[in-house]
Amino acid sequence: MNDIWIVAEQHQGKVASISFELLTRGLALAAKSGQKLCAMLFGHNIEDAGLQELIDRGADMVTVIDSPELKDFLVEPYSQCILEILQKYKPQIVLAGATTSGRTLLPYVAMTAHTGLTADCTELDIEPETGLLLQTRPAIGGNLMATIKCPDFRPQMATIRPRSTPQAPHKKGRTGTIDHLTLPEKAKFSRIRFKRFVPEEEEFNLQDAERIVVVGRGIKKAENLPLIRELADALGAAVGATREVIDRGWLSYPHQIGLSGKTVTPKFYFAVGISGAIQHLAGMQTSETIVAVNSDPEAQIFQVADFGIVGNLFEVLPPLIEKIKRGEKAW
Amino acid sequence: MVKHYEYNQVTPLVANELRKIVGEKYVIYKDEEKLEPFSRDEIPGTKYRHMPEAVVRPATAQEISAIMKVANREKIPVTPRGAGSGLSGGAVPAHGGIVVSVDRMNRILELDAQNMMITVEPGVVSNEINEYLKEYDLFYAGYPMSLETCFIGGNVAENAGGGKAVKYGVTSRYVLGLEVVTPTGEIVEIGGKLLKDVTGYNLVQLMVGSEGTLGFFSKIILKLTPLPKARADLLCLFDTIDDAVELVPKIMTDTGITPTSMEFMDRSSVKAACDYLNESLPYENCGAMLLLTFDGPTKEQVEHDYELVGKFIEKHGAQEIYVADNPATTERVWKIRRNIGEAYNIFSTRQSGEDLVVPPAEIPAMIENLQKTAAKFGVMAPCFGHAGDGNIHARIVCPPEWSDEKWKETLPQILEKIYADVSSRGGRLSGEHGIGHKRKKYMDHFVSNEYLNLLRGIKLSFDPNNIMNPGKIFDL
Amino acid sequence: MRIAVCIKQVPDTKSVKMDPETGTVVRKGVQSIVNPLDLYALETALQMKETYGAETIAVSMGPPQAIEAVKEAIAMGIDGGALISDRAFAGSDTWATAYILAAAIKQLGPFDLIICGERATDGDTGQIGPEIAAELGLPTVTYVNKLIDSGKDEVTVSRLVENGAEEVAMDLPGVLTVVKEVGEPRLPTLRGKLKAKATDITKMALKDLELNTSYIGLKGSPTRVVKIFQPKVVRECRKVYAENDGMVEEAVDQLINFLKSKKVLAS
Repeated sequence: MNDIWIVAEQHQGKVASISFELLTRGLALAAKSGQKLCAMLFGHNIEDAGLQELIDRGADMVTVIDSPELKDFLVEPYSQCILEILQKYKPQIVLAGATTSGRTLLPYVAMTAHTGLTADCTELDIEPETGLLLQTRPAIGGNLMATIKCPDFRPQMATIRPRSTPQAPHKKGRTGTIDHLTLPEKAKFSRIRFKRFVPEEEEFNLQDAERIVVVGRGIKKAENLPLIRELADALGAAVGATREVIDRGWLSYPHQIGLSGKTVTPKFYFAVGISGAIQHLAGMQTSETIVAVNSDPEAQIFQVADFGIVGNLFEVLPPLIEKIKRGEKAW
Repeated sequence: MVKHYEYNQVTPLVANELRKIVGEKYVIYKDEEKLEPFSRDEIPGTKYRHMPEAVVRPATAQEISAIMKVANREKIPVTPRGAGSGLSGGAVPAHGGIVVSVDRMNRILELDAQNMMITVEPGVVSNEINEYLKEYDLFYAGYPMSLETCFIGGNVAENAGGGKAVKYGVTSRYVLGLEVVTPTGEIVEIGGKLLKDVTGYNLVQLMVGSEGTLGFFSKIILKLTPLPKARADLLCLFDTIDDAVELVPKIMTDTGITPTSMEFMDRSSVKAACDYLNESLPYENCGAMLLLTFDGPTKEQVEHDYELVGKFIEKHGAQEIYVADNPATTERVWKIRRNIGEAYNIFSTRQSGEDLVVPPAEIPAMIENLQKTAAKFGVMAPCFGHAGDGNIHARIVCPPEWSDEKWKETLPQILEKIYADVSSRGGRLSGEHGIGHKRKKYMDHFVSNEYLNLLRGIKLSFDPNNIMNPGKIFDL
Repeated sequence: MRIAVCIKQVPDTKSVKMDPETGTVVRKGVQSIVNPLDLYALETALQMKETYGAETIAVSMGPPQAIEAVKEAIAMGIDGGALISDRAFAGSDTWATAYILAAAIKQLGPFDLIICGERATDGDTGQIGPEIAAELGLPTVTYVNKLIDSGKDEVTVSRLVENGAEEVAMDLPGVLTVVKEVGEPRLPTLRGKLKAKATDITKMALKDLELNTSYIGLKGSPTRVVKIFQPKVVRECRKVYAENDGMVEEAVDQLINFLKSKKVLAS
């Protein structure tokens, strides 16, 4: 059949938004290559509405394996499910989210299936002459972009950076098939046992946030963090931090943005007291709009910012927060 | 016998004259907002700040000369300024008047690789010299710690020291020649591309460290060394301060190896910096640290040196010795040393930063006395710095609960005690930060009146109207 | 217990500079370091060694000078090391690299646990850990931020996921990839450095490994790099100065207007 497949994700039965971003990617490729777009989804007690939503948003076919063994992400059963689909449908292209599960699952599958895999792509295209998938990803901390292809092995596999593309829109009246497969025998076996899920105390997911206020060493001490939270609250933003701040124990590691932390591409990125070390810039420079406040006019962060205030953050933030809050009433 | 000099203000007419010399856009006048950044250096607090009346940014020695002639005619004080990263007020216009910023004179004029010398203008950022030289496998060794911002002109004016002085010495060792614009506006060449020169007085070395009171340096000829290709650091943890500091002089005498730098950090400095950095090293039971740097032409040479010194230190009771020989680990160990200042700034901004220097062997006794004095007055006195060259940056940190009055009353008493002790050991007031107007009132604790009179005589022979950076180092 | 830690030597990102004219990476003067994220893998192994007792081996694939990375691991406290190096391995993508590493690990084994860093700061793929696991037919847990318990046959760990952490138990042998929360890596000691110098590091080349030669190097790599280019992130920063009180007010107003123009704030 040689179609384009996405590995959709679900959390507690609900289809996750990364799936719809993958559909956007898949639709663009399918339009160029004329192939069908299919989605695979594994889990337990998956809501039917979610399956229909995959179709509404662009999938021509959804293949589901719904079984108690697939309730939580476990690399062995999940990879066996994908391998089953690879064998059955022989896809040309398989795309998954560069999420914690996608970045675990796809390499596991690619190795076993003996095919190439490109990590964390930000752009995809089809090479007109060959019909091959062109996979573009940042390298060396975002200083370079590399375009990669996989000419001789199938499927061509890639993980796609979350939030690097909008979600595919609903289109009323789209039709497609929903295909239920039974759990493959090999997928009943796992040497990893899921024990429990501990949600992050603070309800947030940096990579999902549309707006992030990010704090650097300029904040001087943990006691000053409420100022940052106040700004974030006023803007409806999540709070992130540089490595310097994490290393000092002022915020926990999930807040870290940069080469040794998370890569984020929010719509709005507000850098407060961040000098802009190359390792940090690597994790944020593709954000849509970047604003920075720093006392050093030569700070590197200004090189990637759209707007910058050169000044003392302790003098700038209070009136800014005040004004944003005041504006709130006018909305 | 302080003589009082009357100065005149920068009138609109004078400002116009300055504009004619350097061009309209290179004069700041009657614009408080733009003048303010030129009223300060890196001394914390506002006590030593003073606003200039005008800021002029010349591009050539001829322009500086013309400015000085106007200033002499009008009796207006002139203060030279580099990057403004000093710590003793050298670039602060203590008597107002004109600040002459050399930031536009920022060209590397000539690299003479055959002679291993480089000629630069004063506004070149010191770090850029080494960035530029990398390609030629050469290196300018006389740079201080704030290397990413400071200008070479300021380094020469303050005779800056810094982290590598144990092996490489301070700035003065590398200044061979200067083009000087004197306070009266003459352009004079002194010294040159010579490694030996006794043709007259050694004016080059008089100018180095003169804190901008004897003239501008419009060109600077620096001596270079081959770029050391390898480096490594040892971070040594000790039970007590004594264990660490007593070892400092012995390291060189007993092993025959001269480290590039020997930095010392006492228990409170270590604790403050490590807490601040959330550093996981086992520092809790450590009374002091020594941070030694080694550099050399090959990895093998450096390895040989640090192993020999490391084994010697181990034998003499170090708790643990860590080795950093790549950029990642080097950064980690030096971060501790570099963050001491910031860690204390967060604790209390009421501090007095001291730059004490004693003969290196006096370091243990000096620190002991300093700690006793601090304990007696109930203040914190973290000690850290360039133990290898006898230069310790003690900070007197005010306990947060003290009132401002109590602090203002007590600090001079503490300083009196400390200075008396340092002086009795043959030490001096400042090793590398300079006197400026910050420390001049304590000069007489350390030097004789006869010495000060010699300085006064020299000053007046260069600057009869006392308009060049007046109010610094000593009063006339 | 025997633990293998996979490490990579990478250029120090801090000193990596781009040539703005040619758009290429300037390699001159760039020093090599152990991939910073691999240090957490080494630290995890050392903690396990201290708590449960283990023999720890650092394994690295790379050019001959990557032996420095193995030595650094030993200086930190790792017991032994192996360098996998052969010209024939050059140009290997993650598939081929994992294939070679897995063969070496098999030969150096048996191991109860294989620990990798989350990813390398140069390639940034994070694929090697799960790929080695797949090639060796072992289970793998990625993004491990805490080691909760370890027995002879099982480890219990916490792994970071998008909106929290999962606690899972994995049978041994298996592969873990760890993130920096596992603990600050220790510094190499002088004792360690001297030991590293004296330690005989196993060197493995193509001839020492059981490999299908059509699966290695550039030729054996499923993926091909077809183009490298500079990203076109063109931003012109509008800088406003707020260095004293009067200016703060105005700067903040300008920022508010900017945010409105970008629809971050309602206008």
